[in-house]
Amino acid sequence: MALSFKKNPVDLIFFSVTAAASLSVLALIAGILYVLFSESSLAIAKFGVFQFIFSTDWNAVKGSFGAATNLFGTAITTGLSLLMAIPVAIGIAIFVTEISPNFLKGPISVAIELLAAIPSIIYGMWGLFTLAPIMAKYVEPALQNSIGRVPVAGILFHGTAMGIDLLTASIILSIMIIPFTASISRDAFNLTPAVVKESAYALGATKWEVVKSVVLPYSKLGVFGGIILSLGRALGETMAVAFVLGNNHQITSSLLDAAATITVTLANEFTEADNDLYLSSLFYLALLLFVLSFITLAAAKFFLLKAERRYAR
Amino acid sequence: MSVERIRKMESLAALSLCTFAALFGLFWLVFILGDVLINGIGALNLSLFVNDPAPPGVEGGGLRNAFTGQLIITFFATLIGVPVGILGGTFLAEYARGKNIARLISILSDIMVSVPSIVVGAFVYAMLVKPLGHFSGWAGAVALAVIMIPVVLRTTEDMLTLVPWTLREAAFALGAPYYKVIIQVAYRGAASGILTGILLAIARIVGETAPLLFTSFNNAFFSLKMNEPIASLTVTVFQYAMGPYEIWHKQAWAASFVITIFVLMLTILGRIIIKWKYGKS
Amino acid sequence: MEIRKELNPVRSSSMNEQAVSNKSLSLTKETSNGVKVEVKGLNFFYSGNIHAIKNIALPIYKNTVTALIGPSGCGKTTFLRCLNRMHDLYPGNRYEGEIWMDGKNILASDIDLIRLRSNVGMVFQKPTPFPMSIFDNIAFGLKLNGIKNKGELAARIEKALKDAALWDETKSRLHESAHALSGGQQQRLCIARAIAVEPEVILMDEPCSALDPIATAKIEDLITELKKGYTVVIVTHNMQQAARVSEHTGFFMMGELVEFDTTQKIFTTPSNKMTEDYITGRFG
Repeated sequence: MALSFKKNPVDLIFFSVTAAASLSVLALIAGILYVLFSESSLAIAKFGVFQFIFSTDWNAVKGSFGAATNLFGTAITTGLSLLMAIPVAIGIAIFVTEISPNFLKGPISVAIELLAAIPSIIYGMWGLFTLAPIMAKYVEPALQNSIGRVPVAGILFHGTAMGIDLLTASIILSIMIIPFTASISRDAFNLTPAVVKESAYALGATKWEVVKSVVLPYSKLGVFGGIILSLGRALGETMAVAFVLGNNHQITSSLLDAAATITVTLANEFTEADNDLYLSSLFYLALLLFVLSFITLAAAKFFLLKAERRYAR
Repeated sequence: MSVERIRKMESLAALSLCTFAALFGLFWLVFILGDVLINGIGALNLSLFVNDPAPPGVEGGGLRNAFTGQLIITFFATLIGVPVGILGGTFLAEYARGKNIARLISILSDIMVSVPSIVVGAFVYAMLVKPLGHFSGWAGAVALAVIMIPVVLRTTEDMLTLVPWTLREAAFALGAPYYKVIIQVAYRGAASGILTGILLAIARIVGETAPLLFTSFNNAFFSLKMNEPIASLTVTVFQYAMGPYEIWHKQAWAASFVITIFVLMLTILGRIIIKWKYGKS
Repeated sequence: MEIRKELNPVRSSSMNEQAVSNKSLSLTKETSNGVKVEVKGLNFFYSGNIHAIKNIALPIYKNTVTALIGPSGCGKTTFLRCLNRMHDLYPGNRYEGEIWMDGKNILASDIDLIRLRSNVGMVFQKPTPFPMSIFDNIAFGLKLNGIKNKGELAARIEKALKDAALWDETKSRLHESAHALSGGQQQRLCIARAIAVEPEVILMDEPCSALDPIATAKIEDLITELKKGYTVVIVTHNMQQAARVSEHTGFFMMGELVEFDTTQKIFTTPSNKMTEDYITGRFG
């Protein structure tokens, strides 16, 4: 492709313009990293790295800021939502690729893609108006009266059932990432060659045995990549959780307590930050979130590329 | 029981569980969509589109400011994001095709597509809001454009890659310079795919809230000035839903309904174009 | 007379009906082997009512190799996949007629497909190793049949690999990924996987089409060995291969069975002009 475009001045211009446009992505990433870093320099200088990450103190009045409560909220909501979403999403993917009659495959796939396109704020608002009251009235009291009475496990459901808490936020987050995870898992399952599935059937395997022993092992890399990608999405999701998490900076053993994630803290406090250290600490949080999700997403991309390359042979 | 019977029952049980999981997942999604549609339609009325907000808590009023604000921000974000995205994608698929730099930018763009949008908001805040001392429509548009660029860039790259290389060779054989080949042959071949990419990118930014919270902020009054804080539907939904007034909640449902319908229509339109142009798959 | 009625094939079309049925009849007299599978008036329709197999009748003799030849798209693979009801995996496909195997009509609706398929093994055009170790590939079918005992598993796997002439090459690397084997080795692994569960019939769908001549020769030797214990049906587009490995040959064209006879007869003095033209390479 050694094209002598440089002989033509217009071509040279077009080349330069397109090159600049594509380099803008690199510039953006570098820019975001640099800007977040320099904006948070005040907080970094004051709190360092370890103290900031491990301090649970988030107090604007005292001017003392630590990210631990936010990291805790992010970890719990992300972890819990993935825990709930993955089985359902993989169930949907298995249903669509292996179980559903042909005439349903198309419509369900389209429905999943459309649901993945719905903005997260819709999920968040629905959570506030519809799910939270249901949680407060029925689900949470039921949980308290059953698992809540069991020693040890019971501490997960202590407190007042308000519906505005870690559990509700995690459920909404999981509903939101289900279509996304299902869609990637389905694509991964579809990479299993039909003839390999056939040879398992030809040995007398049942459909489930084919799924379990052939389809899942064949697509595990892709599904794994998809799950990490979902994790990356969930980490940075703001609006689906902002409505129902309560923005309370605390580390708690009960899923029925309000909490704060990095994103929710940013959304609620950014415009309220009234001094430089406060704002700088918020930027520090944003920097942490950017680095965390960038690493996660890069890992996801790595696995997805590896899966793609393996099956391209 | 024979081994086969046990195996068959195990299969039936596992597949039933998958089917149940699918129904369970779809139930919630249908629930949400249905709830938004029902509550949204119930709250819709003409004054929503033609009136500006009434004072807090007072009945009546509308969201004209938010509708126009959303349109303006989206328009300018598209105006910035689409050209950059298309040109960037062109570089990856044409001049840098097969080169390492193209692979790197392509992968980084894929990552950027999923980077938390609130981080983009913080970035633009530091770049455009803090130095100027005030929120502005421009800051909102830029934040959305930043989100849009990698989406459009990656679709453009993919769609241009799908255009057979022999088509370009045929044009080269006629003595056309590369830029003419790209503009007159490659773009033409990829046009509908790129258009779909743009539609999906718009659908994506129309629903974005987090990056607008501290860039374009909000404005209770009707404004067309990009230099000032400007209202958007999504931020209004956030504010109204979290607010104490019943009328605000109703209007938040209505606005959510409009956003949802708009996003779904764009997504469906994009799918139709893809299907019509590239057939099934 | 009973046999004559049963074997009466192909009613339709241009071919000489009388000649074909006579041949089939005389065949049963010539061979000492019993009939393992008896196909009667088989029609097959792909989803959308596409008539892919038309009125096929033929016997498959026990402990022999039966080759199915014909131009591509003639229906030989479609026919083969009727014998383990592979078409049932996809909705809308439909069979008509009967396929008798050990006194049972395997097209009957009450047939247990899982049991049928563990009795009728299949080897595909391209090697289809599962994404697991060599050992686990073969253990897969055995475990399905309820063999869990470690010692028995190992013994059965060793035997299958030996029967498939793969033991010497793999005994030191049983727990490596099957994908690391060469194409020919992978195909022999698939044969080992199929015979490990000790089926009675083995179906092979152009098993050598993706292999080089040396690997092909190994598989052909293997097929000749296999017929001692199994009944083999092989689809091939390679006429020399059919001539080398099989006792009986059926020539398919456009979904119909044009001629079925001993391989020797088909390749030396075919009764049908179309068979002769195909064998001598005038078309196809």
